[in-house]
Amino acid sequence: MESAIEVLDLVTYYGERKILKGISFSIPTGMTTVIVGGSGCGKTTTLKHLIGLLRPASGSIHIHGKDIATMDDTSLDEYRKKMGVLFQGAALLNSMTLAENVALPLREHTRLKGSVIDIIVRMKLDLVGLSGFGDFYPAQLSGGMKKRAGIARAMAMDPVILYFDEPSAGLDPVTAAGLDELILRLHQVFKMTVVVVTHELPSIFKIADYVIMLDKGEVAFVGTLDEFKKSDKTIVRTFLERRPEEESYSPDNYFKIITGA
Amino acid sequence: MKIETAAHSDYTVISIAGEIDMYSSPELRDTLLALVKKKAATVIVNLKDVKYIDSSGIATFVEALKKMLAYKGKFKMAQVPDRVMEIFNFSKLDKVFNIYGSIEDAANS
Repeated sequence: MESAIEVLDLVTYYGERKILKGISFSIPTGMTTVIVGGSGCGKTTTLKHLIGLLRPASGSIHIHGKDIATMDDTSLDEYRKKMGVLFQGAALLNSMTLAENVALPLREHTRLKGSVIDIIVRMKLDLVGLSGFGDFYPAQLSGGMKKRAGIARAMAMDPVILYFDEPSAGLDPVTAAGLDELILRLHQVFKMTVVVVTHELPSIFKIADYVIMLDKGEVAFVGTLDEFKKSDKTIVRTFLERRPEEESYSPDNYFKIITGA
Repeated sequence: MKIETAAHSDYTVISIAGEIDMYSSPELRDTLLALVKKKAATVIVNLKDVKYIDSSGIATFVEALKKMLAYKGKFKMAQVPDRVMEIFNFSKLDKVFNIYGSIEDAANS
């Protein structure tokens, strides 16, 4: 299995707090890999490293053979042109129409003529089911439509890797299922490497080929979706069976925490 | 990307090899728009040796088709590789372009 992304011994801190504690994993080329785990496990922080928004304290992140952890800003910008990201809140620019949002990366990073860009924009909006909405502003759209528009913009430059940060967050189950279906279809047709951060079980079962589970800043599981479903690891079973975690500290410890003792 | 142009008596064949991407498609656009400017009656684009085409390549073809239709010119595609055809199908472009199995079929249609 060829790897698109190789993460080795990644360590990062927010202030004094160690968030990622030396995690290592590979993400296979051309597959949909889902990074899962409970809230605060380090999923989004890991994603921010993969897209070069954060630099690790130590460790390496090889993407198609190049270490982006040590890359200079110019090279990192080049790498970013080959990837697309759908952020949690879609991150559309509210003062621009959908068409202008989707066109933005093409106008910034290519020398394509306006007439060609206009056609690409219409194609991308159609891909995500938003034909005819090019002149709408983000504030005029529903949550699901904003996510779709975010995907259209993420796909504007024909990325080889597409990242999704909690695509279903804040969506009703039907809209979320529609978005999963879209991710699946885009992946099947364009054969991109897709990386999705989520904790939604229906999404994981629908779209994942490969699963990486994080827990408290460490890798708890890596394997195929089938292996994930069959795993007898306690942490995986707890997650899949939606069991609440046990209290991690005793009443005595809690007293010390709230009194600052 | 390499582009070869072969002018025949009643049609022109544009054979493209390699990758049509954001960097190379402006050159393809120049070639196609030069033919549009001359109001070429029939243009056949041979995609047999195309390894990859991105959205900018597809958009360039769409623009050429639109401009040729304006003066009733014919824009045809021949020998579209399966991988490219899959993208055309998904984007419903198989319904937009006239696609043929061979240059001869395209020329005789």
